[in-house]
Amino acid sequence: MTETREVTAERGPFFFKRELGKEEGEYKLVGREIERPDAFSKIMGLTKFTADRLTEDVCFGKIVRSKYPHALIKRVIVDEALQIKGVLAVITAKDVPGENQIGYAIPDQPLLADKKVRYIGEPIAIVVAENEYAAEKGVEAVKVEYDPLPAVFDPLEALKPEAPKVHEKGNVALTTIIRKGDVEKGFKEADVVVENIYYTQRQEHAYLEPEAAIAYPEGDGIRVVLCTQSPFLVREFVSRVTGYSQSKIKVIGAPAGGAFGGKDDMGPMVASKAALAAIITKKPVAIILDKEETFVASNKRHPAIIRYKSGATKDGKLTAVEIEIIYETGAYANRSPFVLWRATVHSAGPYVVPNAKVDGKSVYTNKVFSGSFRGFGDPQIHFAAEQQMDELAEKLGIDPVEFRLRNVLKEGTRTVCNQLLEESVGMEETLKKVAEAANWKKKREELKKYRKGSKVRGIGVACAYHGISTSRGVPDWSAAAVLLNEDGTITYRSTITRLGQGSLIGHAKIVAEILDIPLEWVHIEEPDTSASPNARPTHGSRGLMTGGTAAADAALKLRRTLIKLASELLNCDEKNVKLENGKAFCALDPSNKIEFSELAKETYQRGYQPAYYGFYFVPRRYFDPETGLGVAYCVYTYIANIVEVEVDKETGEVKVLEAYTGADVGKAIDPGLIEGQMQGALAQGIGYAISEEVAFNDGKIINPNYTDYIIPTVKDVPRKVKVVIIEKPYSSTAFGAKGVAEAALIPTAPAIANAVAHATGVRVRNLPLTKEKVCFKLKEGKK
Amino acid sequence: MKLIPPFTYYKPETIEEAISLLDEFKEAKVIAGGTDLIPLIRDGKYTPQKMVDISFIDELNFVREEGGYIKIGAATTHSDILNSKILNEKTNVLVQAVKNLGSPQIRNLGTIGGNLCNASPAADTAPPLLVLEAELLIQGSKGERRIPVKDFFLGPGKTILKRNEILREIHIPSEVGKMKGVFLKLGRREAHTLSIVCTAVLLKADTEFEDIRIALGAVAPIPIRAKETESYLRGKEVTEKKIDEGTEIVKKEVKPITDVRGTKEYRTEMSKVFVKRAINKALKGEVECK
Amino acid sequence: MGKKISFILNGVKREVYVEPNELLLNVLREKMGLTGTKYGCGIGECGACTVLLNGNPVLSCLTLAMDVDGKELVTIEGLAQEELQIIQRTFLEEGAVQCGFCTPGIIIMAKSLLKNKTNPTEEEIREYLKGNLCRCTGYVNIVKSIKRAAGKACKKC
Repeated sequence: MTETREVTAERGPFFFKRELGKEEGEYKLVGREIERPDAFSKIMGLTKFTADRLTEDVCFGKIVRSKYPHALIKRVIVDEALQIKGVLAVITAKDVPGENQIGYAIPDQPLLADKKVRYIGEPIAIVVAENEYAAEKGVEAVKVEYDPLPAVFDPLEALKPEAPKVHEKGNVALTTIIRKGDVEKGFKEADVVVENIYYTQRQEHAYLEPEAAIAYPEGDGIRVVLCTQSPFLVREFVSRVTGYSQSKIKVIGAPAGGAFGGKDDMGPMVASKAALAAIITKKPVAIILDKEETFVASNKRHPAIIRYKSGATKDGKLTAVEIEIIYETGAYANRSPFVLWRATVHSAGPYVVPNAKVDGKSVYTNKVFSGSFRGFGDPQIHFAAEQQMDELAEKLGIDPVEFRLRNVLKEGTRTVCNQLLEESVGMEETLKKVAEAANWKKKREELKKYRKGSKVRGIGVACAYHGISTSRGVPDWSAAAVLLNEDGTITYRSTITRLGQGSLIGHAKIVAEILDIPLEWVHIEEPDTSASPNARPTHGSRGLMTGGTAAADAALKLRRTLIKLASELLNCDEKNVKLENGKAFCALDPSNKIEFSELAKETYQRGYQPAYYGFYFVPRRYFDPETGLGVAYCVYTYIANIVEVEVDKETGEVKVLEAYTGADVGKAIDPGLIEGQMQGALAQGIGYAISEEVAFNDGKIINPNYTDYIIPTVKDVPRKVKVVIIEKPYSSTAFGAKGVAEAALIPTAPAIANAVAHATGVRVRNLPLTKEKVCFKLKEGKK
Repeated sequence: MKLIPPFTYYKPETIEEAISLLDEFKEAKVIAGGTDLIPLIRDGKYTPQKMVDISFIDELNFVREEGGYIKIGAATTHSDILNSKILNEKTNVLVQAVKNLGSPQIRNLGTIGGNLCNASPAADTAPPLLVLEAELLIQGSKGERRIPVKDFFLGPGKTILKRNEILREIHIPSEVGKMKGVFLKLGRREAHTLSIVCTAVLLKADTEFEDIRIALGAVAPIPIRAKETESYLRGKEVTEKKIDEGTEIVKKEVKPITDVRGTKEYRTEMSKVFVKRAINKALKGEVECK
Repeated sequence: MGKKISFILNGVKREVYVEPNELLLNVLREKMGLTGTKYGCGIGECGACTVLLNGNPVLSCLTLAMDVDGKELVTIEGLAQEELQIIQRTFLEEGAVQCGFCTPGIIIMAKSLLKNKTNPTEEEIREYLKGNLCRCTGYVNIVKSIKRAAGKACKKC
């Protein structure tokens, strides 16, 4: 409980206007949509993803996985596998030179299981062979002798005292808490109280590109190339597992074919295995998961059970919430401490609630571990919170949008954690604008006409908020490097990775805007831990906000240098030096100018520093984990979704016809990229809401493929999607930007459930709303 | 990327050649489009030693009308069926099913014979052929035999084909062209997905059901005809009530299982809903064309 | 060693030795160095490995390499021979690309669609692309790009 360092940084839009001497409308790149510079090589098929970088000399590692959900390992017999032609090594836990430990926050997860396996698919050994086929044969030939243990697959079962223990300390990985005000008093003040239990399912990221890493022994060190969300985190884990010092490990972040949080968790695990294999065999080794392995053994979105009680007065003000949250973490805690805390501190939704009692538990079971997934704990809790809001509104006879507006967080209000929101709170405006775009009032009435026949229509709304960067007092920072080359081009370095979201393009735009040069002059280097500053992970919607602000810091330093230099060269007072369109000139006499390339050359010639390290430390304040009160996040993105659905009452089919999604993003550095993120998140949210669910039979996943894990096709998404961008700038970041990548997914499922309730009068509190579930729920409802 | 296990590969150019290969090698397996077989091999569910690829045999690739039948070569791709003028004009219930099958890429590879021989209970081409009362021409080394399509399937993945026989042709009686056919499918999403239930209905009706044939897929170990429902409706007046009563019988005729795609109960309910919808659609003449 | 097959790959006659159990996708990626065609699922569900075989789109993960003997093959790398296809240009302009992993397969499909149908409706576009999964874009800008490409009369496509 120590007070963390408080950093206040004045970097928002006003700062930039002053610093660049421009009005926002004069910006050439910031705020404008551009053609993505990375798209060209993608449409040509030339972008090199990890598996596209295999060369003839690369060997293959394949993983021997547990066949039992819970068992002691008696013996791993590798002899037969070693006899197979081409097999070079079989690596087990005893061969790990460093620590056989890859637990993220809690050290509970081995890289290779040695004594015990805790889920079907858990890695036990790595077979390394000269070719992929021999490696596969080797995997089949490794014999593992098990001593099966009773297993537990249900979190409620796992909480019973007699349940098999997944870990020695018991099945509760961690707990969270919020105690604010007096809930008893709060419920007494309420005129209506609603209490329900909500269930959400496991979701698989289902990115098209499976996890992959190639490790190359190099000199006395090692180089690892992989699709990852955090090259430096990978380096940390590779160092821990191999015993190599971090300075001898070089991690390159290749473009990822989708990530969504999955590659944040899986990157270090796959890379550590490849590195280990490369060190032991002294050969370059690739580990490329098969799609089915990804389904079986990669982290999933936490399934949740949420008991939610909330109350409101008849004039539509929330008085209290009492919430019990159970997030199933599966076999290992992985990111659970962060996921559960995020869910807890967002548990009241983006509303003012004076009294709150929240208790969270993360529970172990013998299933594949849960972890990071776009939204990171928030989609589950908002699924509950936002249906509660609709039910309260219904009981009170208030329109759901209106009811929300009476309670939304605004500047000067406090969150459920009692965090005072001082700035950049765009919930009200976002909800109003989205409702306007969707023609909410009219549609809500009109659709009542579609109540005859087997197909009925409804419209539903849900809001959400999502803290950016890391939670509570956990420090977060980012860094970037800008190097001015002698020809005037810029080399830009960051380890924010390329997942398709385009954060680095945003960084480059910020750099080019600050220097007022064409975007093409900024060359983005591949993220590389040996050359790029540590920008920290590409998660929590922080890639642009924190990484971009670090980029701005570096670019501003270079800008100041160039102004000083130009002042000297042009014999013009610094305050009159302008940088514009790749030139520097004196405002008093615009013909007194110098080209950027000339300026670059002179930077070196006259002994000015040509390269800068940019740094950004996210403002941190106090958070008390004993009460759950304090500053949970430095800033939040606010989101509202409205969807129109058609429900086939006979089959239970829910079709999203139209979707409106809006977010307060602080400042849109690139509206096109934001739209792309929101459209994609919405589709992923529709899959989560309607069809996606990892299914098990005795701990074994029975739909480990695209045949039976149903993600939306182009025919399953709404024909009309409208994105609304709201800008309430944040004073601590470059141009006021916040994060947006996760945003639109969070309120999608509750908006759909609310729309289904509007269409049918029946509420489904159990995700996903499959045809079958809705069909039977409607039959039940009729009775 | 993951390799499939090695095998010896034969590419016969005639049916005769194919049959003699099958006669010679007991371990040989026929492959056509490979869209079902290659994933099975990849998953290790099937490890063939020898493969006889019949997709290059010209005599197996055609759609033509002769002798009162529309004849389809077994190695005809789904795309060729979809684009077949004869099938689109004469009876497009099979075309409707193929349109809902897989993706365009799958349809360019996959064949109708493969879809049948793989004997998935959910094979989308089976219900249309059942209501069309198609016959299958099967070729073995000792000659050929004809069987009605209803006798072809024995269980999931099992057909009456002997090891050294191949499915050669599918014969659809031309006269069915006078009836209206509808194929409908329920999957877990809009497209490119396996059926929870699929149905084909073929009927001739004005004020009463002169003739009606109903088949379903994915609701029993093999694709089935709903004979009792048919006989209840046959001769009955075309009314909403009668259709509802009749299709209630479907629920007793299906024998679905519960799996990851749907429960027994849901499949049973949906069998009725979809047969009813297919009948109504056929009556309205709302038949989707290509 | 395997058997020698020859085929036209992106306009150039190529010869290569293949084993019966090699799939077209293996050969393209590993023997021809054409990694633009992606290995996504390996079971014909995602469409990322789509190529044009004799002008028709097929899944290279389900095609035996032996089967392309004597045929003509076009991959994403061979699409823009002299200049970008119009569909490639509209993909750039509409922001239809995010991670880019599904992009080659979808561009191949779009190209094939526009060859067969100069002015498809939105539903025809969606019907044709149903076998190509994209997890990033929600398909919004992909459909938009194809609509726009279709609107322009395009002789070279």
